Amino acid sequence: MSPSWQVELVAIGSVTPSVLAHLREGLAGILACPVWIATLHVDPKPFFDPRRRQYAAHSILEHLLNPPPNEAVHRIGVTELDLFLPVFTHVFGAAQLGGPVAVASLHRLRPEFDGSLPDVLRMHQRLLKEVLHELGHTLALVHCRVPWCAMGASRLPEHVDLKDSSFCNPCADRIGIQKMDLE
Amino acid sequence: MKQRTPNLLIVDDELHVRESLGHWFSEDGYEVSTASSGKEALAILGRQHFDVVITDIKMPGMDGIELQRHIHETDPDVAVLVITAYASVSTAVQALKEGAYDYMVKPFDPEELSRVVEKACEKIRLAEENVALKQQIVSAAPKFVIGKSREMQRVMELVESVAATDATVLVRGESGTGKELVARLIHTHSPRAFGPLVAVNCGALPEGLLESELFGHEKGSFTGAAGQRKGKLELADGGTLFLDEIGEIPAKVQVELLRALEDHKITRVGGTQEIKIDFRVICATNRNLEEAVREGTFREDLYYRINVFEIDIPPLRERPEDILLIAEHFLTKFSSAMGRRVTGLSPSARVLMLKYQWPGNVREHTNTIERALVVCREEEIEPQHLPILTRSTSQDGGDPDDLSMQAIERSHILRVLKLNEFNVTHTAKALEIDRVTLYNKMRKYKIERPTG
Repeated sequence: MSPSWQVELVAIGSVTPSVLAHLREGLAGILACPVWIATLHVDPKPFFDPRRRQYAAHSILEHLLNPPPNEAVHRIGVTELDLFLPVFTHVFGAAQLGGPVAVASLHRLRPEFDGSLPDVLRMHQRLLKEVLHELGHTLALVHCRVPWCAMGASRLPEHVDLKDSSFCNPCADRIGIQKMDLE
Repeated sequence: MKQRTPNLLIVDDELHVRESLGHWFSEDGYEVSTASSGKEALAILGRQHFDVVITDIKMPGMDGIELQRHIHETDPDVAVLVITAYASVSTAVQALKEGAYDYMVKPFDPEELSRVVEKACEKIRLAEENVALKQQIVSAAPKFVIGKSREMQRVMELVESVAATDATVLVRGESGTGKELVARLIHTHSPRAFGPLVAVNCGALPEGLLESELFGHEKGSFTGAAGQRKGKLELADGGTLFLDEIGEIPAKVQVELLRALEDHKITRVGGTQEIKIDFRVICATNRNLEEAVREGTFREDLYYRINVFEIDIPPLRERPEDILLIAEHFLTKFSSAMGRRVTGLSPSARVLMLKYQWPGNVREHTNTIERALVVCREEEIEPQHLPILTRSTSQDGGDPDDLSMQAIERSHILRVLKLNEFNVTHTAKALEIDRVTLYNKMRKYKIERPTG
C-alpha cells in the first residue's frame, strides 16, 4: 500500500548535495512514495536574527507556504543552519501540525556539534529520522510513547539515535503507509 | 487506572509565544488552550479545569503574578508555570513565594521546558492517584463496632472523642471482645488515618526477640542479625502503634518502651544513633494491670504513661441485646461468602444464644456462627447446629468462677433487665415475680439502671 501523498525536499541555504541525496533515497525507501528535491534553493538571509545569530523556523515555514504546495504534497525544508522559535533557545525542526510544510536542521544533529568525532553515517541517520518526525507532524501525528518510533519526542541528539528510521505500527496506520516489519 | 490527557492553558499577550508553545505542546500530545490576557484566562478557567497554566509575567492589565493569585484562590491544585523575557531574581522569588510551580526565562531550552511541564503533570497525576487511594482506604476501613447496647454506644462515643486527639489509649476487655477492632477504629478516625497502623502482640515473643521487633537492630548486633532491620516503632512513624497484650511485656523491655513513649526517640539494638519517631500509641490488655503493678510485675510509671485514656469493652454476656444483632450481621456476611441460603436463626436457637455466657466473647460468637453455617442444611439455624452452646448453657449464671446461687440469681436478673431495657414492669413479668420483689432484689444485688 503506497501513501496518497508525496514529499518535496527544499534546501534552505547551502546544503551538501550528498546529504539531500541520501535523505531522498532513505525517505523513498521507507515511505514508498514519490520523493524529490526541488530545483530552487531558498535564500536564508531574510530569516536570520542578528541578535540570536540563528534562523527563525516559523518564518521559514511561512515562506515555504508561498506558494502553497499542490494538494497531497508535503514540502519539507532542509537546512544546515541553526534554527530557533522565539520562545526556544533552539529547535531541531518545526512543522505545521496537520499542515503541508515543515523544516529540519542538520546543525545540532552533527555529532561534532557536541564535541564528538564526525560520523557521516550517524549524521545521515539523524537527519532522516528528524525529517520523518517533522513529516509525521504535517500528517497530524503527535509525539508517540513507543520509544523506537520516529514520532518519539527527541530533546537531545542522543535521543534521536535511540529511535528507528520508521514509524511504529499504530503511527504508520494513522498516516496510511505500509506497516513496518517489527523485526 | 487509565491516564487522561493533561491539559494546559498558555497565557501570553504575544501571539507568536502562544502559537509556538501551543504547537509545541500539541505535538507532545497535550490538550492546549490559549489566552491573550489574565482576564481572558480567568474566563476560560471559570469554564474548564486545567492541570497546568503557563503564564507570562508582563502583560497589559492583570500581570502573571496577580493571575496566579486568582487561580490559586479558586483552585490551589493548578500548577502555574511563570515565564518571562526579563530575568529578575526578585520577580522569580515573588512568583515562587506566591505558589508558582516553577519560573522560567525566555527563550527556553526545549528539553528543559518539556521536562518541567512533564514533571508538573506527573505531580498532579500522583496527587490525584493519592486522593483516589485514600478514598479506597476510607471505604475499606471499619466504620463501627456492632452493638446497640448502651455499653457499646458508649464505647463508640469514647472512640469518636479520643480519635481526633493524639492521646495514648488503653483498651481493656476480655479476650475476644474486639480490642484490636477498637484500636483500628481509633486509628481510622484519627488524623493519622493515612499513616501506618502497626500492630505488635507483646505476648507472642520472648524478651530478646520482642526488643528487636519493637526497636529494630543493627547488622551484627546479635547472632542471626545478618542485616540492619527497622523495628515496629520506626515503621509506625507518622501513624499509630498498637501494642496488644501490653501486660505481658517483660521488665527489661518495659524500661525501654517507657523511654521511647516519653521521648519519641529510639535506639536500635546494637546501635548508637537516636532516631526520632512520630507515633501515637494504643495499648490493649485483658490483664488486671493495677494488680500487676501492686505485684511489681508491671512498672507503675509505664502504667500511668499508657493509661491516659481508657476504653473498657464489656464482655458479651453483659450486653445480651447485642448477641442477636451480632449473629445476624455475621450470618449475612458468611452466608453470602459461602453461597448459603440461610435466612436466620430459629426461635429456639435464639433462646440458646441468649442463654449462653460467651466466655470467648465476639470472637467465639463469630466462630460459632461460621461453624453453624458450615453444617446447616436448613433455611434457619437450629440448636443442633450450635453444639457448643447446648453443652455449655447449663453453666448459665454469671461469673463462671462464682458458682453460688446468689451470683447466678444476680446475673440472671441483670440479663433479663437488659433484655427489657431496664423496664422493671416487663422484667418482673418475665421473671414471674412482682415489681416490689424485683426492686428489693435489685437493691440487694446493687443493680442500678445505667445513666445516659
